[in-house]
Amino acid sequence: MKFGLISLLISGISLWGGNQQPLLQPIEYNVNSRYTVESIDVSPEIESRISRGLKHDLQILIGQKLNPTALNDLARRMRDELKVRTVSQKLLRGTAPEHVRVVMEVAHKRGEFDLSVPRLLYNSSQGWTGGVDATAVMGNHAITAGLLSNNEDLAERYTGVRARYEDRRLGNDRLRFQFDFASYHDQWSPTASANPAGGSLGLYRSRQSFEPVATVALNKELSFSFGAGFQRFDPELRSAHTQSANAAITALRYQGRFEGWGADQQELEAGYSLRAGTKFLNSDLAYVRHRWMLRYSFTKGRQTVSDQFIAGLATGQAPLFERYVLGTGTMLRGWDKDDLDPRGGSRMVYNSLEYRYSVVDVFYETGAIWDSGQDLGIHHSVGVGLRKNSFLIAMAFPVKGGRATPVFLVGLNY
Amino acid sequence: MGGVTRRWWLLASFGAPLAWGLAPQVVRVRLDGDDLRVTPVQFHFLTGKSLEKLKDGFSMVFLAQLSASGELNEPAMKRAVDRFIVSYDIWEEKFAVTQTGNERAKAVNLSAPAAEAWCLDHLALGIAGLAADKPFWIRLELRAEDPRDQAVVVGESGLNLTRLIEVFSNPARAQQMRWEAVAGPMRLTDLKRERRSSRSG
Repeated sequence: MKFGLISLLISGISLWGGNQQPLLQPIEYNVNSRYTVESIDVSPEIESRISRGLKHDLQILIGQKLNPTALNDLARRMRDELKVRTVSQKLLRGTAPEHVRVVMEVAHKRGEFDLSVPRLLYNSSQGWTGGVDATAVMGNHAITAGLLSNNEDLAERYTGVRARYEDRRLGNDRLRFQFDFASYHDQWSPTASANPAGGSLGLYRSRQSFEPVATVALNKELSFSFGAGFQRFDPELRSAHTQSANAAITALRYQGRFEGWGADQQELEAGYSLRAGTKFLNSDLAYVRHRWMLRYSFTKGRQTVSDQFIAGLATGQAPLFERYVLGTGTMLRGWDKDDLDPRGGSRMVYNSLEYRYSVVDVFYETGAIWDSGQDLGIHHSVGVGLRKNSFLIAMAFPVKGGRATPVFLVGLNY
Repeated sequence: MGGVTRRWWLLASFGAPLAWGLAPQVVRVRLDGDDLRVTPVQFHFLTGKSLEKLKDGFSMVFLAQLSASGELNEPAMKRAVDRFIVSYDIWEEKFAVTQTGNERAKAVNLSAPAAEAWCLDHLALGIAGLAADKPFWIRLELRAEDPRDQAVVVGESGLNLTRLIEVFSNPARAQQMRWEAVAGPMRLTDLKRERRSSRSG
């Protein structure tokens, strides 16, 4: 099986390499192809909703000669990711001679309906994670309803329904509002059921959440979110009462791009989020959850080096869904979250160093997850994969003594 | 029918499209060496939506067919097809045109009417097989290329003329921009043979 997966990966590399369209192939038929792209303008609202991979590929075009084919391809990807019917493009004269600005705009129709698969991942150690969403858009208002089964983001697998109302322009372009509702049934692995952690906190069998959040775009790079999360969960022990974990939510996010010499591009992304469970919101559990994130990437031509650092700290009586996990399809790939900390940890550090050449991805990840009073055990993993648009196929290996079983990952929008 | 004079077929050129309920697109047919060519008299395809798209900086592909038939509604006896890529230089505010068919040519720094005329001038229908004294009709059709057609007509080895002719044998799609002009009836003997022109590109 293992050799089969490796063969599939290798044959995927050769096939993919052979069929790949060069992104920067010059298009001689458009007379504007001789001009250099000065900037690609998308509204902050769009920018905050498109994937990192797409942003990266947009950035690659800046400083290059105009390539309409590549722009069309990116507009198509943007349309798919944003779930809109049309992404229009327009060229304008740049500020410097022989330079052009590309403006990409979403043409919202009066009413739209769309079905999509926002995430889909197969992880050979943890199984499938996936969902389907139905979205109806009317002007600036969007209503989404979806089904989800997720074994990636939390210690448990949670399966259920979710819904979201979103006002993408609350009064002005800078303010957005969204209200999320979710109802999940939770399933715990035998390891998690057998290993109590997190003090006296126990497992739960179902939970519901209501989360109204507003986001203000302070400027093109910086946004601030605030709101509240109301979570209610039923402990596995049926005789126990339903508990609530109601928290105030704030988040600050920065995303900046810097152009270097020639075609060099740098991107810096930083974020901090805080969730504070408080009696003031009628919460049964008082806790504070911090999360810091820093990501830097450097792109030159078809090569990109990026580093991402994430740290988390939860204090007080944080429920299990507020704890951190590593050993998933996105963080410390190659490890199994059940082997690291089956009920998650209250402290976490993680770093991922990634090198990408065209579609080939190589990564080295390291991370630790622990609870207060425990020793810090650092784990490492390495991997190789192919990433094309939103599709990813990868093989990740945990670095450890003895027998190490690689983890095979294949998915969309990861 | 009496003698078909040049004045008659010019008049018919104006009248036929109107009679067909089409936009009054008018072309003049001329004999250039051993080829029939058309000159736009009142024929514009770089207008409206197509012009808007070009001025947004992106290229447009036009598929063109020039055909000759014995009667208005008869199938074509002869036809010539080609494919032109037009773009608009947003700094120079001029058009550039590339012919991508059997003949490959390119022109830059053109005004909109000059770009239209250049495309039509590079569409030549050979007169071999046309009887000198037998009346015939000339039909010019232009379509903005649909992405689905592109996959069919442009192969690895370039433009596939057979496939392009098949595209024109089907009606245009509902949303597809199209232009058409008809001229005739005319006879080769009525057309003044012009000296073969040398074309740039």
